Amino acid sequence: MDRMGKNDHAVIEAVLAGDKEAYGALVVRHSESLFRVAFRITRNEADADDVVQEALLRGYQKLASFRAESNFGTWIYRIAVRCALDKIGGRKGNDASRVSDETSPELQEVQVADWAAGPDRLLLSGEIGAMQETAMHSLTATERTAFVLRHLEDCSTGEIGAALGIGPNAAKQAVFRAVQKLRIRLAVLRVRT
Amino acid sequence: MSHLREEELIEYFYTKGEPGASGRRHLESCAECAVAYAALQSDLKEMEFAEPPARDAGYGERVWESLAQRLPAYEAPRRHWLRSGFWMGLSYAAACGLLVSGAFIAGQLWERSQTHPTTAATPAPAAPKERVVLVVLGDHLDRSERLLVELKHADVDSAEMVSPLRDEAKSLLAANRVCLKSATQGDDPELKTALGDLNRLLDELSSQPEGLNSAAIARLQSEMNSDGLLFEVRVLRSRIPEGQAVGTTGAGGGKI
Repeated sequence: MDRMGKNDHAVIEAVLAGDKEAYGALVVRHSESLFRVAFRITRNEADADDVVQEALLRGYQKLASFRAESNFGTWIYRIAVRCALDKIGGRKGNDASRVSDETSPELQEVQVADWAAGPDRLLLSGEIGAMQETAMHSLTATERTAFVLRHLEDCSTGEIGAALGIGPNAAKQAVFRAVQKLRIRLAVLRVRT
Repeated sequence: MSHLREEELIEYFYTKGEPGASGRRHLESCAECAVAYAALQSDLKEMEFAEPPARDAGYGERVWESLAQRLPAYEAPRRHWLRSGFWMGLSYAAACGLLVSGAFIAGQLWERSQTHPTTAATPAPAAPKERVVLVVLGDHLDRSERLLVELKHADVDSAEMVSPLRDEAKSLLAANRVCLKSATQGDDPELKTALGDLNRLLDELSSQPEGLNSAAIARLQSEMNSDGLLFEVRVLRSRIPEGQAVGTTGAGGGKI
């Protein structure tokens, strides 16, 4: 089968007409870009792979609702963002236990002193990246996703809102809160360096 | 002067390259906001995030292989009954229209094919008709010639001789009018002229209420001779084949 010969709309028509194999062309064409955004949101390779499969599966199941005037790449990208959001939202409980400033046994929180033992040490050990990871995990799933889309994917607030199913102002607020939290978390690096 | 809020600084950071981005003028004139923006810019630019691991060329194929088994094939969409019925009805209507049009065209062609042979065969019946005309004309010219001969040699003093001439003239006049009319529609000027002259003579000959007197006969004889009418009639008569003149309908009727 010539998977690269047809444009996305022609492939979708073929799939909806019963040619399941035609969907393979869309999978091959869009998997890599979906993996990229999925990884940036989940920050985990295995999770990103899962997100790619889940997004393409959901895309196939919802293909009948895909409107011909839309761009399949944009459409499946938004589905992947949602899937990634669900992914990090589902494991949020595990992440949250690592980003508290104070030890709180009731809330199963621990201090991040091990992660932020001091800028000199962090610099020396090359763990600034890890510090940033920790800061990222302090964000809610929506904040993190909004920040990734804004900061790394160069999406507009309108596009972020569409991907997250929220309005542009809510998307802007999510980005604002994410940046604010990250700056607070990473201020220690700036002060001590 | 009100300063830019952090939210506005963040918005400016991400939109500064876009048309319509606001905040630049304020940052150029407000040192405090400029410092705040520089700090924000530094923080955001210093953030380093791990790049996604590269996927090899076969990544998409592998995703598809693991995904394909989980996907049921779509059934070809069933058409809505209304739309289906509409299009089906439209198709039937179009088919009927084509059928009617085809029948009409076929009828036209058939009629034309039937008309053409008739048209082509028209000359065939025309030949017998023409032969009939020639027979009638030949007979008429024969009788006219005899009348003219009798008129030429008529005894102006004998009423018994002249009276039959008048009766014959009346009889010939009706036939001559028909022949003249036919000749007028045709393309034979000699026949037309001769029959016209003959018509005037027969008219005068048959329209004498008191009978033909010697003066009238003499005048008619003079007119006949001056016009050379007898000669013309004989010439015309000679152009008609003999077989036609005797009332047969044999082939070979020529045009006069």
